[in-house]
Amino acid sequence: MIYPRKNIVMKTCVQLYLRRITARYLSHINFNEPLLDQSKSILLISNHFSVWDAIVLYHINRVFFKKNFHVMILETTALKEPALTYVGAFSVNKGSRDVAESINFSAKLLDDPDNLVLIFPQGKLYSNMIAEVVFERGVMSIINKSSNFQLIFAATFIENFDNLKPEANVHLQAQTGTDFKNIETLQQAYQLHYTQSRQQQIQITK
Amino acid sequence: MKPARRNKFASFWFYRYVRWWMHRRFNVVKVMPFTPKPGHSVFVLINHFSWWDGFFGNYMAGTNLNRKFHIMMQHDHFEKHFYFKYIGAFSLQKSTRDMVESLAYTAKILSDPGNMAVVFPQGELCSNHITHIHLEKGIERIIKQIKGPCQIVYCCALIEYFESLKPSVYIHSYDCGVAGEVPFDELAKNINAFHQQALKDQVNVEH
Repeated sequence: MIYPRKNIVMKTCVQLYLRRITARYLSHINFNEPLLDQSKSILLISNHFSVWDAIVLYHINRVFFKKNFHVMILETTALKEPALTYVGAFSVNKGSRDVAESINFSAKLLDDPDNLVLIFPQGKLYSNMIAEVVFERGVMSIINKSSNFQLIFAATFIENFDNLKPEANVHLQAQTGTDFKNIETLQQAYQLHYTQSRQQQIQITK
Repeated sequence: MKPARRNKFASFWFYRYVRWWMHRRFNVVKVMPFTPKPGHSVFVLINHFSWWDGFFGNYMAGTNLNRKFHIMMQHDHFEKHFYFKYIGAFSLQKSTRDMVESLAYTAKILSDPGNMAVVFPQGELCSNHITHIHLEKGIERIIKQIKGPCQIVYCCALIEYFESLKPSVYIHSYDCGVAGEVPFDELAKNINAFHQQALKDQVNVEH
């Protein structure tokens, strides 16, 4: 497992790079502001259709959540883009014993109210056009192992409309409880949020 | 209504420029294989979700449709980008008497088998995630006035990102039959079925 690295110079460089590419490729990042409990850490669950998901949510964390950002990424990605570990990325190696270590590390991060952990439970990149989201099991172990965190669902959609640069619309929803019986109930709850967000997205005309 | 003043020289270079520009701005531009019926003009209906859509039509005109490109533009956009008339753009002003003239002009273009015309059936910018395509009544009027063989093609352009910072566009084309042979209600139903099919195909697209 690859852990996040601490280096203030590298962190600043990667942050500046992320800010630069966000300004270069996206016209706006729109999101709603859910009610936050500042005494709790945040477990952010999002759909995964591109490299932009993490970058957009990183931006939202910078301007809204204002917590220490952490994101679980695949080990292959972490090896390919080691710079991401300077801004809170840590790896998970699917199908290996390492998974338990990554889950324990995520749960430990959630014990600190200043942290935010972003997870893509789909486990890999899917099309932006999917109607149904399928979760892998790991996320449930993180939820079971931690207690003092707030669960937030995010559904991201990127649209062009009348701009040369596209805009990202992120629909956030804070969950009142975290007592999901199993992965199916968690998936159903996220699916409901995803479907509602997609419906809102479809209503937009210009 | 402002008619097109298509110029071969301008069209040729504009197509080259659009190709270069799209390949620079997009990670992947993938037009799914489609061959139009020989001896038929092509009436292209594209889902309208961005200002790139017209350029997608121009790209297809040179890659797989091989017809003279024409496109219907909103009057205010046409006035802003008047130079598009040299590559085949003509204007339409919604909810005016002029509109009837624009629709008749589109039908006249499509009466020549060497032409193609791109029209956005929804009449406004909608999300790329929509699941239902609304067809404005004007489409029916155009189809009724076409004299000559004309194939109706629905093109569904879908944007993805996957591993790239740049977007990728996947254009799915479907044959909706020959103008005059398919009733309008059935055409609307078929287009929506094709749109659903495109969304399904997109989920399994290679990346």
